[in-house]
Amino acid sequence: MSTSLTQRFPAAPDVPVSDLVSELRAEPPGGRLRVGDPRVVEFVTKFARKLLAPATARRFPELASLGFFLRKGEIAKALSTLDTPAGSLRFPRGLVFHVPPANVDTIFVYSWALSALAGNHNVVRVSSRSAGAAEAVLEALNAALSEVDPDTAAAITATQRMVTYDRSDEVSGALSLAADLRVIWGGDSSVAALRQYPLAPHARDLTFPDRSSFAVASVAGWQRASETERRAAAEGFYNDSYWFDQAACSSPRAVFWVGDDEGARVAGQEFRTLLAQVLVTKQHVTEPAMAVQKRVSAYGAAVDGLVKEIAFEGNGLATLELTDSAVMPREWLGAGTFANACVASLSDLVPVVLRKDQTVGQFGFTTEELTAFAHELAGRGVDRIVPFGSALTFSAVWDGYDLLAEFSRLVTVQA
Amino acid sequence: MSVFTRSQADREALLLPELAALTAHHRASSEGYERILSSLGIAPDASFASIADLPWLPVRMFKTHDLKSVPDSEVFKTLTSSGTTGAGASRIYLDKEAAGAQTKQLGATLQEVLGGERLPMLMVDTIGIIKNRRSFSARGAGVLGMANFGRKHTYVLDENDKPDVEAVKKFLAEYGGKPFLIFGFTFMVWQYLYEVARENKLDLSNGILVHSGGWKKLIDRAVDNTEFRRRFKEDTGLTRIHNYYGMIEQIGTVFLEGPSGNSLYCPDFADVVIRNPETWAEQPVGEPGVIEVVSTLPRSYPGHVLLTEDLGVYNGIDDGDWPGKHFSVLGRLPKAEARGCSDTFSGAAA
Repeated sequence: MSTSLTQRFPAAPDVPVSDLVSELRAEPPGGRLRVGDPRVVEFVTKFARKLLAPATARRFPELASLGFFLRKGEIAKALSTLDTPAGSLRFPRGLVFHVPPANVDTIFVYSWALSALAGNHNVVRVSSRSAGAAEAVLEALNAALSEVDPDTAAAITATQRMVTYDRSDEVSGALSLAADLRVIWGGDSSVAALRQYPLAPHARDLTFPDRSSFAVASVAGWQRASETERRAAAEGFYNDSYWFDQAACSSPRAVFWVGDDEGARVAGQEFRTLLAQVLVTKQHVTEPAMAVQKRVSAYGAAVDGLVKEIAFEGNGLATLELTDSAVMPREWLGAGTFANACVASLSDLVPVVLRKDQTVGQFGFTTEELTAFAHELAGRGVDRIVPFGSALTFSAVWDGYDLLAEFSRLVTVQA
Repeated sequence: MSVFTRSQADREALLLPELAALTAHHRASSEGYERILSSLGIAPDASFASIADLPWLPVRMFKTHDLKSVPDSEVFKTLTSSGTTGAGASRIYLDKEAAGAQTKQLGATLQEVLGGERLPMLMVDTIGIIKNRRSFSARGAGVLGMANFGRKHTYVLDENDKPDVEAVKKFLAEYGGKPFLIFGFTFMVWQYLYEVARENKLDLSNGILVHSGGWKKLIDRAVDNTEFRRRFKEDTGLTRIHNYYGMIEQIGTVFLEGPSGNSLYCPDFADVVIRNPETWAEQPVGEPGVIEVVSTLPRSYPGHVLLTEDLGVYNGIDDGDWPGKHFSVLGRLPKAEARGCSDTFSGAAA
């Protein structure tokens, strides 16, 4: 049955793709969904409470972040930022087809939730390889559905689907053709693969291609910081980097110390000592295969002339001193492998930045300094600058897109 | 001239200076190798207190980078292996001297169990595996490399990969009364030779089996080395069985199973270090770790001290069939998987 899909949410028998498309095209009971539809808000907040339940949050800390993001107050705040000019009205786009990455278990939920809050009908392809956190999400969604008002449940059931299907031109093709907006996460290869399937003439893609990220730390800022602030920085950096084995696109691959060479050397050493302590406290385990992978990457970078010094602090932390701060590795080198360099000022990094660069994690800079840096970059790259500890915090503005705005469209009215 | 003579103390005394000199030679001749060692802070004149102190390279380096210690003009042979999936192929560069040395030392190693003369040889494979001399699989290279040690080769499998029972019977009728050589990959030896011999009640008691290639496929059948030896002995009379462990990245160096079975020994020009994967310190006897293979053969590329991706354990030192360390291979390290944003579905995402 190559054209049928497994329905993960709402849990239901397998369905042929043609039937799924016609069901999603139908008007839902209780009337069409609107931007910020109260039925969706009710369902999403019920779902968020399930993610924040202590048992779930303990098992999957990333789901607690997700639950926090979807609390009623946060949703209201996100919806209130939707700027709709006078004389225009905002409406959903229609049917949105989401293709999330297989390996970051929670992205599909953010993508879906914002699109649903914008009033869209959604079909989300959930990876058949989905792991623990994704399973917990689907459980929570199905549980929430049985606890909301029956009218709400009926509207959600009619408009929101999460499905799994084996690779199929027919299914991907049908969903692409039916969509008013297609959302592709998971990097360049996913984008290329999905673009084989034509969209309707009015529809478009919202793509999230391969990205990479780095960190900047102010030497002066580090010197000013208290012991507590330094510890917090190391802990935040740990979360940014190690949660997804440093393979998330927002996780830093390189750290640039900004200031004088000697100050940078001392600060870097102090920072890494603290980071190594965090690894111990968090009982971070580096599997032997990962430890070997890190050596292969580090030695390879040395052979390529990219790095001039390699230092291992146990298996958990490898520091690669760059030969030239203007040439940094952007590819994944193994969990806990950081290129390291010193630059005199943030301006020195401007020529190094590419469009591919997404997140700059920062420590010790002022808003003014960071704003000036962003202005200097002038859009050549970097979509977000966040403090250490927030690199993986999803936001409604992602990769330069205001997602709620992307998930909706404007209608202007003039009498 | 046996190459299984050196005690561990002799090995340290004789091999360490040779390996240290090789390290210096590779640093002088391979820019990439020099860059690795200098970025690790190993001084050009560093001295090493023991074989276990020598810097090692992960064997996968030869899949990701070209490392060689001879100029391009002197490369006589380039070996490529696919090895494990997804990692690309290893590229090993040999000059004339290195190519000669590896053949010679492999011969010297196998002579220990085969004796001095070339024996009639059963190949547990198909002749097709070596037909296309232009593109060898690792299996083909292994078969071809071993063929030199025998004569009157008979292939156990026909062109369609089906056991050719008549050919085997004919071979045994002609040569089975005296020592003969059997070579093949472990899994194929089990599937095609053991099972065929048992069904047809063939007598392999004069055979000397040399086999390699890991136990992974046999684990499902609940066959480990002990079981493998027991069943061969009971059902075919074959008792002279020598597993060996080696890899293309250290071509010519094989660690050979001793006559009593279940332990691999180092030839005199090689050694092994089992490392703790947490601290990378050498493990004591009985404690499993990652296998590092050491050999004085690799002169044309910096492969003299390699960390493999296999797990192993010392069974003892200077207390086995032959002197030196002896060990077992326990399996492979699992592959390091990263959960990234840029990995939706492998291959076409549809």
